[in-house]
Amino acid sequence: MKRLTATLGYAVAALTIAVAVVGPMFWFGVFSRAAAKTSLRIDPEYTGGEPARTIARDGYQIVVYKPVLKRAPLSPTASFVQIVWKPVSALPAAISEPIDLDGDGRPDCVVSFQASRDPHAELRVTVKPLTALVQPMNEVGKDSFSSLIARVNDTIVVRVPLR
Amino acid sequence: MPDRARSIALAPPRGIGRSLLLTVPVALFTLLLFTPVLRQPGRPAKLAALIAWIFMMVLFFLMMRTRETYRWRRIFFITLGFLFPVGFIWDLIALRSSMSIPMERMISGDTPFCFMVLPMTLIPAALKKTIIFPGSILPTPSNPHSIAMMVALWLLATIILGKAWCSYGCFFGGLDEGFSSIAKKARLRKINPKWRLAPWAILVAIVLLSAATFEPTYCMWLCPFKAVTEFPQVRSTQTALQFGIFIALFLGLVVVLPFLTKRRTQCAFFCPFGAFQSIFSRTSIFDIRIDKEKCGAGCLLCQNNCPTLAIDQEAIRAGKTLSSCMRCGACVDVCRKNAAVWHIKGTPVGVKPERARLLYLYAAWTFASMFGGSIIASSLQKLIGLVF
Amino acid sequence: MSSVAEALALGFGAGPICVAYCGPVLLPWLGAEPRDLATTGRLLAIFLGGRLAGYLAFAVVVWAAGLAIPLDLRTRALVFGLANFGLAALLGFSAWFPRRHRAKAPDERPTRLYQIGAADRFRPPAALTLGFLTGLNLCPPFVAAGVRAAATHSLPGALAFFALFFAGTSVWFLPSLAVSPLRRFSALPVVARMTMAALSIYYAYLGVVSVASWRLASGQAGDLVISITGMVLHA
Repeated sequence: MKRLTATLGYAVAALTIAVAVVGPMFWFGVFSRAAAKTSLRIDPEYTGGEPARTIARDGYQIVVYKPVLKRAPLSPTASFVQIVWKPVSALPAAISEPIDLDGDGRPDCVVSFQASRDPHAELRVTVKPLTALVQPMNEVGKDSFSSLIARVNDTIVVRVPLR
Repeated sequence: MPDRARSIALAPPRGIGRSLLLTVPVALFTLLLFTPVLRQPGRPAKLAALIAWIFMMVLFFLMMRTRETYRWRRIFFITLGFLFPVGFIWDLIALRSSMSIPMERMISGDTPFCFMVLPMTLIPAALKKTIIFPGSILPTPSNPHSIAMMVALWLLATIILGKAWCSYGCFFGGLDEGFSSIAKKARLRKINPKWRLAPWAILVAIVLLSAATFEPTYCMWLCPFKAVTEFPQVRSTQTALQFGIFIALFLGLVVVLPFLTKRRTQCAFFCPFGAFQSIFSRTSIFDIRIDKEKCGAGCLLCQNNCPTLAIDQEAIRAGKTLSSCMRCGACVDVCRKNAAVWHIKGTPVGVKPERARLLYLYAAWTFASMFGGSIIASSLQKLIGLVF
Repeated sequence: MSSVAEALALGFGAGPICVAYCGPVLLPWLGAEPRDLATTGRLLAIFLGGRLAGYLAFAVVVWAAGLAIPLDLRTRALVFGLANFGLAALLGFSAWFPRRHRAKAPDERPTRLYQIGAADRFRPPAALTLGFLTGLNLCPPFVAAGVRAAATHSLPGALAFFALFFAGTSVWFLPSLAVSPLRRFSALPVVARMTMAALSIYYAYLGVVSVASWRLASGQAGDLVISITGMVLHA
C-alpha cells in the first residue's frame, strides 16, 4: 500500500511537470474557445447594455440602448440608458436632440452637447427631462458609469441616469 | 531575513557537472516555451529574452549547486516584483501619458484583467452570468490581457503550484519580499499570530460586498498595488479618497511594515487572493513536512524565519506547515536538523527529500520562467531599448 | 388566492437580491459566535423577524402619511444614512466586544438569550436590531412589493401581501444555516469579527454618503416604481 501511494505520488508529480511544460502551448487557446461558448458577458454597467433601436439622421446614427437597471441593492451606480452618436466625423458641431428612451413614441429627454472634432476636447452634456423617467444632467462630464459623456473610438457615448 | 545558520551547509555543494546536468531539463523545457519570446523582432527584444532566460537558468543552477531554494528564488521574485511595474507603467505612459484609467477605456472593455478580481466575480457570475470587471472576455488587439486568458493562467498556475503561486507567480509579492529583505534585523518582532487570519476576513468582506454592490470592491477601495500599476482617474471626492487609500496601504503594508518586521506583511496579513489560494493549498502534490522525531526540542528557527508566519508550534506538532504556506523554502533551508523537508504526498516523509525538491522545482521553475521570465524579458526590452 | 401565489412568487424571485443585500450583515454576525444548528436557526428567524419589522414599520408610516409611493429621495437618503450608521455601530460593537461565555453563579438569573456581550450589562438584542436596521434600508424589491401592496387599498391586505412576499424571499436565507457546521474551525469567530470590523467601516462610509446626499438633494418626489419594479422583474 505504501509503495502504491508513493508510486502514485511520483506519478502525479511527473504529471505536474508535464502540465507545466506542455500546458502553456495549447491551454490558453482551448480555454479561450471554451469561454467564448459560455453565456458569460461583461456586466452592462461597463458595456452599456444591448442596442434597442437605431435612429437615422442626416449622415450619422443615434443608437439607443436598452435600460441598464441598478445592478444590486448596494450598487452605487443608478439605472441608466446609454445613447451613442456615430460617427463623430459626421456630427454637426452642436447636438440638441429629443430622445425617446423607452420606445413609446414620445421623447423622454433632450440631450445637448458640443460635438467637437478635437479628440482631446473635454465633452460636457446637458439633459433636460421631458418625463419623470429621467434624471436631469447639467454640464456633466464623466461623473459615474450611469452619468457621463465620453468619446470612445469614433463615437460619442452618453449615459442618462433614470429615476 | 534574520541571521540564520544554513543547515544546507552541512551537506557539501553539489558538483558543477552534476548541477549542470540537473539544470539541462529545465533549460530545455523553458527554451521550448521561450522560443516565441526569443523570436520577437528587434535586437532589444531578442537580447532581453536571452538575458532573462540566462538569468533564470543561472539561478536554477545555483539552486542545484548550493542545495538551497529560498535565497535564489527570492532573487528571481524580487526582480519580477520590481521590473513588472517598470514595464507596466512604461506601457501606460506610452499609450496614454498617464497611469490613471480613463472612463473611455473602462466602458470600451480595454482594462487588463487582474487575477486579484477572481474571487469577487464568482457570486455575480453565478447570479446573473455577468463579469463585474470592465475588461473583455476574449483577447482583443487593444486588450490582450483578457479575462479568459488570465483565468486560464490562474487555473494552470493553481494546478502546477497551488499556493506556491505566491512565491513563483504573483508579480506583486516581489515588492513585499524586496522591502522585507532590506534591513539586517527586524525592528518589530512581536506579531500577534491572529493577524494571519486577516486576509480571510478581507476575502469574506470583499466577496460579500461585491455580491451586494456588483462592483469589484477590492479594486475600488483596497488594492495597494494600484499605486504602482493603474487606478481610476481621480475626478471626484470619492476617487481622490480611493487613491489616498491605495497609496497609504502600499506605503504601510508593502514598504514600511515589511522593512520593520522582515516579513511579507501585505501577503501574510492582508492579501485576500492569498487567502483564496490557500483553499487550493492542499491540491498540490508537493508540500513541506516537518519530521517531528528529527525536530526534537524545537529551536523554532523555521517559525522565526518564515516570511508569512505559516509555521507555529501547532504546525510543528502536526508535522506540516499551515495552509498559508507559500512553499518559498525558507524553513527547509534554515533547519539545522533537516527536519523541515520537501515532500511529495503519498511518499514517506524525510525519504529522499532532495528528489521531492527537484521535482517540485522542475514544475515551479518551468512555470516561473514561462510567466515571470517573460515579464522580466518584456520590461528589460524597454530598458534596453533606451540604450540601443 | 392568486394574490397569495403572486406575492410568494414575487418574493421567491427577488430572494437572491435580498440575500446579497443582507449577506454582508448576517453572515459574519452568525459566524462570530457560532452555535448549533437549532440555535442558529432561531437567530436567523429573529433576524428575519427584525427585518420584516423594519419593512412593515416603514410601510405603516408611509401608509399613515397617505402616500401611495415610497418617500421622496431626500428623506429616503436620511433614513438610509441613519440606518447605515446604526449598522456600522452595531457591527463594530459586535466585532470589538464579543459575547463572553462564563459559568453562571447558582443564584444568577438566566442570561437573556441572543444578547451581545456579558449578561450583566444591558446589550441590545443583536439579531432583532440587525434585522430591523437592515429592513429600514429598504431592499429595492421590497419597495416594489410595498407599492404593489399599496394597490390593495387596505392596510391589512397590504401587510398580508407584504408578509407573504417576505416569506417568499426568506427561503433563500436557509443556506446561511451552513455557518453552523463551520464552527468546528476555531478560526471562524476571529475571521468573522475581523470581517464585521471591516464592514462597519464600509457601512459608516455609506451612512456618510447617504446623509451628504440628503443635504444636497433637491427634494424631488422620487418615482422609483419604473426602475425598481423593472429590477424585480428582471432579477
